[in-house]
Amino acid sequence: MLLEALHLHHFRNLSKVRVEPHQRFNILAGDNGQGKTNFLEAIYLLSAVKSFRPSTNNASLIGFGHEQAVLEAKVERGGYERVVRVDVSERGKRVFLNENPVRNLSDFFGTVNVVTFGPEDIYILKGGPSERRRFVDRAIFNAHPAYATEAMNFEEILKHRNALLKGDGYDANLFAVYDEQFIDYAASMLQRRLDFIHHFRPVLERTFRAIFDPDFETEIAYEMKWPSTSPGHDGSLDELREDRVGVERLLQRGLEQSMREERQRGFTVIGPHRDDLSTTLNGRDVKTFASQGQHRAFVLAMKIAEITYLEERYHFAPILLLDDVSSELDRERNRHLFDFLRGREQGQVFITTTHRDYILLEDDVSVYRVQAGEVCPC
Amino acid sequence: MKTRDPITNLINALSKFPGIGERTATRLAFFVLKEPVEFANELASALIEVKEKVGLCQRCCNLTEGDLCAICRDTRRDPTTICVVESTPDLRAIEGTGDFRGTYHVLHGVISPLEGVGPDDLHVRELLDRMRPGPDQQATPVTEVIVATSPSVDGEATALYLLRLLRPLGVRVSRIASGVPIGGELEYTDRVTLSRAIAQRRDM
Repeated sequence: MLLEALHLHHFRNLSKVRVEPHQRFNILAGDNGQGKTNFLEAIYLLSAVKSFRPSTNNASLIGFGHEQAVLEAKVERGGYERVVRVDVSERGKRVFLNENPVRNLSDFFGTVNVVTFGPEDIYILKGGPSERRRFVDRAIFNAHPAYATEAMNFEEILKHRNALLKGDGYDANLFAVYDEQFIDYAASMLQRRLDFIHHFRPVLERTFRAIFDPDFETEIAYEMKWPSTSPGHDGSLDELREDRVGVERLLQRGLEQSMREERQRGFTVIGPHRDDLSTTLNGRDVKTFASQGQHRAFVLAMKIAEITYLEERYHFAPILLLDDVSSELDRERNRHLFDFLRGREQGQVFITTTHRDYILLEDDVSVYRVQAGEVCPC
Repeated sequence: MKTRDPITNLINALSKFPGIGERTATRLAFFVLKEPVEFANELASALIEVKEKVGLCQRCCNLTEGDLCAICRDTRRDPTTICVVESTPDLRAIEGTGDFRGTYHVLHGVISPLEGVGPDDLHVRELLDRMRPGPDQQATPVTEVIVATSPSVDGEATALYLLRLLRPLGVRVSRIASGVPIGGELEYTDRVTLSRAIAQRRDM
């Protein structure tokens, strides 16, 4: 996976950018507010057709005083060269693949694969469950682009079901239909997530030992939210990853036991939209018991393991977008990060920084200076 | 509304059409102004006529001028098979194939709780009435219902709902197939359709 050229027009404050990046390391240096993160955001947008900044509207992506932003990149993957383009106007985004309009996004997803690591990821374990669900979903999406459509369909069913729960009429047949649909889509998502965790767990364990302490035992597990008024489910979720009938039965039981609670609260209280990850170090919860250093090491290990997982299981190296992470990591962790990056045999990386000397890379490097929306090689 | 000038009134009325914004509505309004008065008279009476004369078929809820639509009146059609569609345009599309010789039932929408559309807002009751032969219903009992709602999330939910109501009545319920378009190229078929086509493959 290689970004061979990137052209941006009127994207946020980047009015005109033409870059032919290095195939290994690209450092974007500059003061805050000059456009470094916007550069990474543009690459992300060419992959996911949305921003990594939450709740971003189209208008804010377009340079002041202009009607549309154009993002274009030449990418190489598996020997194929493709030109991807996203036009952003206030009314919406249009995607082109080799000059042809893409009508169905599910056909486009997977053309550009990126993994991001930014300051907000440091709080992935301290934030709410949605942060951790997003981590899992992004990792699955990179390997299985169809997952995006599955998740969207699930969201739609969920909205319908919640509308039914809020409504006053009760039609048993109608509820049965939406229960059936809910279980169908939820089971698919759940199985994908359980499968991910199953294969991700050993990679994380290995990574954490390598960068922190070989004597530590890490554990990461998928936690299914259960109705607060009922006893939890028994048995291991891990065993259900290949047992479709078992997953459906579990969800069915969850819906049955939460019936009263969801009628009271007016929304669906169990399902993939409520689940979480639990993380422990030597058996103790990372979120509450780990020291600051252990905590950051764990997060760094999660990100490195995410990349390693994709490389080992699916044999491709995603483009890495690292946004000013060195300022959030201590010296030791920063060194581990760059040891890992240099140790990879291949893989393109984009790193933003305010201080070039934070970036412990000397070879295979292109440095760009970002100032007032201009990106120039130096 | 009445206090505004006639042109603004017309533009406002026209811009209520789906897909017509204020700019197009303005163009249409000035077109009407430019044409001779006969055009406006014809258009006005055509609009009134369609509302006054066109109603729903008492049996299948298709649009019709009489009590029964042309298809339900046609004695050569097979009344034991009913194809359920979302809308009249969908009915016309299937009629266009010339291959379906049964009768139809038009729901005029799909179930969508989010938009407040439930079974009672569609013509589901009329469909169920057709399953139990009564004095004013057809004499031969229905043996198969083909559910031809779109393969969208809402169309699928509607199909499953109908299945729940119809199956206990002992009637065969089928769903239209979805997959790779005939004459189309496999490589240009979208991923969702293709993966479903693989999952729902059939023996040869």
